[in-house]
Amino acid sequence: MDENLNSGSIPYVSEASVSVEIETEDMTLNIGPQHPSTHGVLRLVAKVDGEKISSVEPVLGYMHRGYEKLAEVRTYPQITTLVNRIDWVSGFANEIPFIAATEKLMEIEAPERAKHIRLILTEMARIASHFVFNGAYALEIGALTPIFLAMEDRERILDLIESVTGGRFHPNFNRIGGIKPAAGSGPTTKKNIQDLPAGFYQDTRDAMEKVLEAVERMENLVGGNEVFKIRTKGVGIISKELAEEYGVSGPILRASGVKFDLRSQTDFLPYDKFDYDIPIGENGDCYDRWYVRLMEMKESAKIILQAIDSMPSGPLQTKVPKVIKVPKGQSYVRTENPKGEMGYYVISEGGLGPYRLKVRTPSFSNISILPVLLEGQLLPDLIAIMGSLDFVLGDVDR
Amino acid sequence: MNLSNNVEFVESLTAAFPSLENSFDTLKITVKSSDWIDTVDKLKNEFELTYFSWLSAIDWDNEVAIGDPPKEPVTPHFEILCCLSDSFAGNLVIVSTQIDKETPQIPSLVGVFAGSNWHEREAYEMFGIEFINHPNLTKMYLPDDYEGNPMLKSFELISREVKPWPGEVDVEGMPDDGKEEGES
Repeated sequence: MDENLNSGSIPYVSEASVSVEIETEDMTLNIGPQHPSTHGVLRLVAKVDGEKISSVEPVLGYMHRGYEKLAEVRTYPQITTLVNRIDWVSGFANEIPFIAATEKLMEIEAPERAKHIRLILTEMARIASHFVFNGAYALEIGALTPIFLAMEDRERILDLIESVTGGRFHPNFNRIGGIKPAAGSGPTTKKNIQDLPAGFYQDTRDAMEKVLEAVERMENLVGGNEVFKIRTKGVGIISKELAEEYGVSGPILRASGVKFDLRSQTDFLPYDKFDYDIPIGENGDCYDRWYVRLMEMKESAKIILQAIDSMPSGPLQTKVPKVIKVPKGQSYVRTENPKGEMGYYVISEGGLGPYRLKVRTPSFSNISILPVLLEGQLLPDLIAIMGSLDFVLGDVDR
Repeated sequence: MNLSNNVEFVESLTAAFPSLENSFDTLKITVKSSDWIDTVDKLKNEFELTYFSWLSAIDWDNEVAIGDPPKEPVTPHFEILCCLSDSFAGNLVIVSTQIDKETPQIPSLVGVFAGSNWHEREAYEMFGIEFINHPNLTKMYLPDDYEGNPMLKSFELISREVKPWPGEVDVEGMPDDGKEEGES
């Protein structure tokens, strides 16, 4: 200090006076349940020390609808209506594992054409879900434009889903043993069963071109933005071990460098017939999670284009009894939802409805990592980290 | 899916756990509740099932307030299930154990898989199962002053009692009930 004073550099004196640690009390900050960045009604109770988060306790239950209990008083065909509403951003993808588990217990299989249509609509749901993420995430980081672009692009996909199923968000399109006759294809008798609406193939091809364009635009517009990079690179790093320990799945797990995609292990949707990559990240930070999802949209578009070209002809429904009774047995089927591993454990006692239905949702496990992940982070990063996990509260609370 | 529950994996698992069942492509190991933690630990460390998928419970009871009772009478008990997977080949195993309903207690898995924390809290509030050594066994979804455990089979669905579900019309009085007849 003496030396500095002698050399005439005064700033050191003032610096010495502020670098003294003062004992402060942690402040409790309540975020949500009506905060726009919480994607619904998640509430976080954070203890903050200045700008630094010392601990976070998520409070759930504002969207708890008790689907597992409701499923016990419903028949199997009625449950698809419920499961649609678990993750409402990708309603169609929720139906698949439940229908597959039930079909497995009944030992029936959907016809090839129905499987292809299921696959196309699942991938469309994935693209729609990732569009929402891409728009909303950029918005949370502070860029206003991408959300408008993404919503416009998503609308094209939703229009296609609507043209087939009749619903934008809750298609309720799968039936045990196949799919419901499509919505937009004119009046038909029972013999002349309804199929995909006219012009669906060409509309899909056009829409997929637009998706590929949109991905490229998004990559330049958002990924090329310096602010976005600074806010997301190296922030909220999830290691491979931590992700697995907490059951974190989907794009988040892949962003941490684990090449694990349940689509490649599916036997009820014909993914093995198509060519696609599984994008993975290197660092497991927010930027990687954003990038993996963006690349997945590209791959999904590729799968849809291939599926359109190789669409088999044939019936949409296999023969099923009029009153669906599922034989006694237990089966767990999981699929790659846009947000991660979604599974249904169906316990049947031979009745009209399941004895118990366990619903494993991706977002519940994905956000269970929040208390560990947010500890020691800065408060502004909380929004960036939370947004990068891409959860839906209906999927968390069920 | 469990397509890649490959033969080698199933064989090595059968050697270690003779209780292994394969029903509808779902591998299930049944163990005593005293072996609960050891089994999960062994699967994690020796069989590379390092990915914690979920944990839940089933209330087995003959007297049910909602739904249908089990086909054959059962001894009332809780079944605890824990689903583990690996993150490269897609092998998946469900570990199951039974505890009696009088003293619903089981050691917590938080020491083996930290991710079981929330799943155990959910089972605690929904079934009333106590997880011993759990760091924060509080309610997950329900209000703090809520009484009862909603997922118990003895727990009535009040809205259903007040107003019957309109869909019940579909369930009852179907003329072709039981006949294996195609729809189209």
